[in-house]
Amino acid sequence: MDMFNVYEVFIQKDHGSPHVWVGSVDAGSPDDALLLARENFLRRDPAVSIWVVRQEQVHRTDYEDRDFFARETDKTYRMLTGYNKVNAEKWRKYKKNLLDLEKDFVKD
Amino acid sequence: MTHEERLAQFMARIERGEKIESTDWMPDEYRITLVKFMQMHALSEVMGALPEKEWVPKAPTLARKLSLMAKVQDEMGHGQLILRVAEDLAKPLGKSREELVGELLTGVCKFHNVFHMPAPTWADAGIIGWLVDGAAVVSQAALLDSSYGPYARVLQRVCAEEGFHIQHGESICLALAEGTPEQRQMLQEALNRWWESLLLFFGPADTNSASATILMKYRFRTKTNEELRQKFFDKYVPRIWSLGLTIPDPDFRWNEAAQRWHYTQPDWTKLKAIARNEGPLSQYRLGLRRMSYEQTKWVREALLGKAGAGAIA
Amino acid sequence: MTDPILALLLYQLADDELVIGHRDSEWLGLAPHIEEDIAFGSIAQDEVGHATAFYRLLSDLGLGVADDLAFLRGAAERRNAVLLERPNGAGTYLQDPAFDWGYTVARRLAYDLFDAIRLECIASGCSYQPLAQLAGKIRREERYHLLHHVTWFKRLAEGTEESRRRLVAGIEQTFLDAGGLFVMTPSDYFPTTSAALLERWTAELRPQFDAVGLPWPLVMPAPALDGRAGQHTADLSALLETMGEVYRTAPGAAW
Repeated sequence: MDMFNVYEVFIQKDHGSPHVWVGSVDAGSPDDALLLARENFLRRDPAVSIWVVRQEQVHRTDYEDRDFFARETDKTYRMLTGYNKVNAEKWRKYKKNLLDLEKDFVKD
Repeated sequence: MTHEERLAQFMARIERGEKIESTDWMPDEYRITLVKFMQMHALSEVMGALPEKEWVPKAPTLARKLSLMAKVQDEMGHGQLILRVAEDLAKPLGKSREELVGELLTGVCKFHNVFHMPAPTWADAGIIGWLVDGAAVVSQAALLDSSYGPYARVLQRVCAEEGFHIQHGESICLALAEGTPEQRQMLQEALNRWWESLLLFFGPADTNSASATILMKYRFRTKTNEELRQKFFDKYVPRIWSLGLTIPDPDFRWNEAAQRWHYTQPDWTKLKAIARNEGPLSQYRLGLRRMSYEQTKWVREALLGKAGAGAIA
Repeated sequence: MTDPILALLLYQLADDELVIGHRDSEWLGLAPHIEEDIAFGSIAQDEVGHATAFYRLLSDLGLGVADDLAFLRGAAERRNAVLLERPNGAGTYLQDPAFDWGYTVARRLAYDLFDAIRLECIASGCSYQPLAQLAGKIRREERYHLLHHVTWFKRLAEGTEESRRRLVAGIEQTFLDAGGLFVMTPSDYFPTTSAALLERWTAELRPQFDAVGLPWPLVMPAPALDGRAGQHTADLSALLETMGEVYRTAPGAAW
């Protein structure tokens, strides 16, 4: 009994940004979906690109499958926070010397 | 896992304040109640376009014509956003947009009581934009925490756009309030006409209907009708007074002891008539929608092409 | 003193856009499906927005306040083509709107293509710079309108037998009035002829018909009423009556 197909809509607001999902439209064809997405989601905001994807073509994980996203053991080795604090402390030791150096340059 | 275990797990998620997504397991009661609620919300937005679109052809300046068109278009846009969310949730029930919209026309799905009322002057368009939309924002903002994720997400966009609508309505009302004596009078008369509707808007204080209880249980709604109505008064009554307008209720006042606004109860029986689509313009507005729906059926069939045409009821 | 040829061109542009934008806006809330209602609503807004910009140019020339020009001029002073003032179908936006989407698509396609060519001509050749610049901006928005209606034209032509039949009926009805669009006065502001406009329009539209196997209507009668000369139907008078109803109650007031 479906009348139209559902197309999920992704908008790219400028060339520096990724396409972001904004919602969906009912449309008879991909061309129609693009035309309709323009007005349904861009009445105010600027954009440079629209993608539409048939809803059935979107494959997704299950919200209930929490283990899929499990991150139990220490992963700080791959994060900024795993390094910046220790590095900052070390740099502090050198800072005084650096400042002295700068002073020397200024003197010259 | 037994049904009871799943249900207990689901309720634990609700109570932890987690968001439910369309693909999650959920009890039928949750799905059915939410579909009904969102269907009514979406179709109320669509029906809400009608009282204001009546004024687009007569809008008194080019700038007003443009802003009212944009406003009516947004209402349709909100209907679209919410209807899409309802469609996704209704899919396992075997219902598509065709059925969801069809139920409006047959009276199975109601539309909001405020849109059964006439808007006989230009000032009514202003009052709708300012105060009816103001009431809508109060009630919709209270749903931003809704347990149903997709609905909470589209509401963020809806509420942001409603902010524009209120500015638009305010702008019309401010111009009339500062205008000629005739314009001021037109504005006061529109307020008089809409005041009772604005009270009815939020529903009776002591509602304990089955669906209201279910919506509360699942944390889809968290505020009562009366809490929302009082919030509306807090925000808008001082503004109404500051324009020099009179609230058409001699008993209306701030009750310091109770820390709430006291108001004369509206005629609640009117809500019952509206629920049967027997409000002042219920049948007229449904008639417009039904006519346009039937008149353009062939267009929707054409979009599907020959192959699909037979599949439409 | 403003050159009356320039003023006439501006009135034609402004009145065309306002009248078709008004007719389009009557579809609000009543379009074939919700997504289209929203898309078509933007087109209506664009047209009224363009009309506003043209009336402002007239205003800049000292010919009156834009809102007065839009709301107070009588039918005999209007310079829009008659095609654009025709109702959307039987009934009105308030009562039994039996609006005809086939006619709407056919009329919009005919007008959008005409307007695209007209704007191109003005943008590239008009000697009055403010108008040439404005036409350049508006052209960019009109491109989407044309694409929108070309898409609809194909959908209806290739959809069902009924949609094709209704589209053909809409085309026939459109062609009865379409000749009136081309009644334009050549000048330094509009350096082309009606015949050249019509030729270009035909050259661009006809392949669209061929592509979907629709016969090209051989007859485009001379317009019975010349809207560009102020000859109009009772439908325009009714439209103006509605449009100015509130404004006329206090024309000078802030609204």
